[in-house]
Amino acid sequence: MRQEAPSVSLGQQVSLVTLRTLIGWHFFYEGYVKLLHPAWSRDGQPLPAWSSAGYLKAAAGPLAPVFHAIAETPWLGAFDVTVAVLLILIGTSLLLGLFTQSGCMGALAMLSIFYLSAIPLGAAEAHAEGAYLIVNKNLIEFASVTLLLVFRTGQIAGLDDWWIGSTTGTARTERSERRRASAAT
Amino acid sequence: MNLTQEQMNQGRRNFLRVLAGVPAVAALGAAASIRGPVPGGPVRIAFIGVGSRGRTLLTDVDPAYAQVRALCDINPASLEKADEVLKKNSVPPAKHYADWKEMLQKEEIEGVVMAPPLWAHADLASGCLEAGKHVLCEKMMAWDEAGCERMRDAAHRNGKVLELGYQRNYNPLYQSAYEGIIKTGAIGDVFHVRAAWHRNGSWRRKGDPPSPGFDASQWGYPTFDHLLNWRLYRKYSQGLMAELCSHQINAVNWFLGCTPEAVIASGGLYRFPEGREVDDHVYATFEYPGGRTLTFSSIESNAFDDYYEMYQGTKGTLILLHESDALLFDEEASKRSTAISVSPREGGAVAQSSETMAGNRNTAGTSAAAASSAQAGPRPIRIEIQRFCSAIRTGKPVACGPDKAIASARPCIRANEAIKQKSRLLI
Repeated sequence: MRQEAPSVSLGQQVSLVTLRTLIGWHFFYEGYVKLLHPAWSRDGQPLPAWSSAGYLKAAAGPLAPVFHAIAETPWLGAFDVTVAVLLILIGTSLLLGLFTQSGCMGALAMLSIFYLSAIPLGAAEAHAEGAYLIVNKNLIEFASVTLLLVFRTGQIAGLDDWWIGSTTGTARTERSERRRASAAT
Repeated sequence: MNLTQEQMNQGRRNFLRVLAGVPAVAALGAAASIRGPVPGGPVRIAFIGVGSRGRTLLTDVDPAYAQVRALCDINPASLEKADEVLKKNSVPPAKHYADWKEMLQKEEIEGVVMAPPLWAHADLASGCLEAGKHVLCEKMMAWDEAGCERMRDAAHRNGKVLELGYQRNYNPLYQSAYEGIIKTGAIGDVFHVRAAWHRNGSWRRKGDPPSPGFDASQWGYPTFDHLLNWRLYRKYSQGLMAELCSHQINAVNWFLGCTPEAVIASGGLYRFPEGREVDDHVYATFEYPGGRTLTFSSIESNAFDDYYEMYQGTKGTLILLHESDALLFDEEASKRSTAISVSPREGGAVAQSSETMAGNRNTAGTSAAAASSAQAGPRPIRIEIQRFCSAIRTGKPVACGPDKAIASARPCIRANEAIKQKSRLLI
């Protein structure tokens, strides 16, 4: 049985959908740029092909042996493409609000891996852009995606609304009325 | 013009002192950075003409920017030497062709770098552009003005990059001199530029045909010597004006911000009349707008004055010497000191890799010399090829496209006509 989106005010709905769009764009662009490489910067410098090898080799934490093993495999190239494609798919899902719950789950899985590969323990890093202890941007983005997941933002605004309607036969106006009523309370 | 070592060092220090006061050019705009990268790996290129100049270009191909897929030359010996260049650069070998049209049909290339004899520029470059390839063509642009126009039209019609190989445009020394000295008005108003390219030799190359039965006539050269020494024959070459003067006119046009309007010239084949058609001594006066004049001389009987461009302004003098050294003299200071004296040329071998490249000069390793030398960074030709590739990928304009190249070729072509007609010609 289908779950309804929680009752939230209009301001809350706008905030949630904005958050989902921003996170979606972040995932999408990360994947797009990786697939684009080898590429050229706008000022004419060649940019080498993207590879996760450096990241995997530098991994620490509980999953480090797994990451190190992946970095040494001959199918690292295919792994790189898979990562980029997954990022694009998740990003597209969140941007469009289509299969949002699955997109959120995928985002959480990837963010978990990214976080576990390099848990910030406060050590000073030469090229780090900031100082982090336990909490870093991956963890904050993880928490944000969790929020999107529980609020079922695809049904607030997104193609999920259309998809569910077309598969269940629920009239769009009926669902809109229901949301407007909840926003007014 | 040869200066004492003390004067040279003082000139270098002056140049560096003035440049130190010029703020750095701003980095790229923010708008460009937010648009993200442009897709595409190294540009797939081919070479047409891998004689001495072609191989100089080939040596400077940066594999991060371009991948050499094929080489084309009618002389198999040149192709073999080009293979050695690729091997030395640790890049994969390229396929060989004698017919450029066949190469364009069979190879999936995006751009062509070409350094064939001058008379072939227009046909080859236009043909490549019409086939949808970008072209970096060695200077001078073409043997005649019609050829230049044909190349420009082909580039515009097909929307392809056409760059002409005037490497001074990419020389950090010239860029510094232009930004820091010329644009800031540090030497005042320039009314006279003196350019010289003096050598003591016949310009003739020696070599054997690649095989006993090699027939150059099928390519339009009656004998192998006509191919090897094409620079010496009028049908293929515009002589010293094209091969040397056009480089300097290109730089002077850039620095003065305009192009010459008329030329008076003289010259002749005085020293090496045997088996040669182009003049071995040429002298020209180019009239620029605003009462400015460029005087040029190129002789093949004395190398004492070497090659340089000297900008004589109302406040000072800028000298750009053999593409690798810059000197600056203050006009007031020079009045106080004694006049510039002539000193013996320094000893040491002069090893030129080509007639239009800076040689391995003995510039007495002072700190000022090292600091003002263009040889410290990437070579200008390397930057030139990088910029050609960047233009193909990102659309960033090249420093010397067809318009500037025509403005450099036309005065040289007209100067040769003026020598023949013994008259002043409008450009």
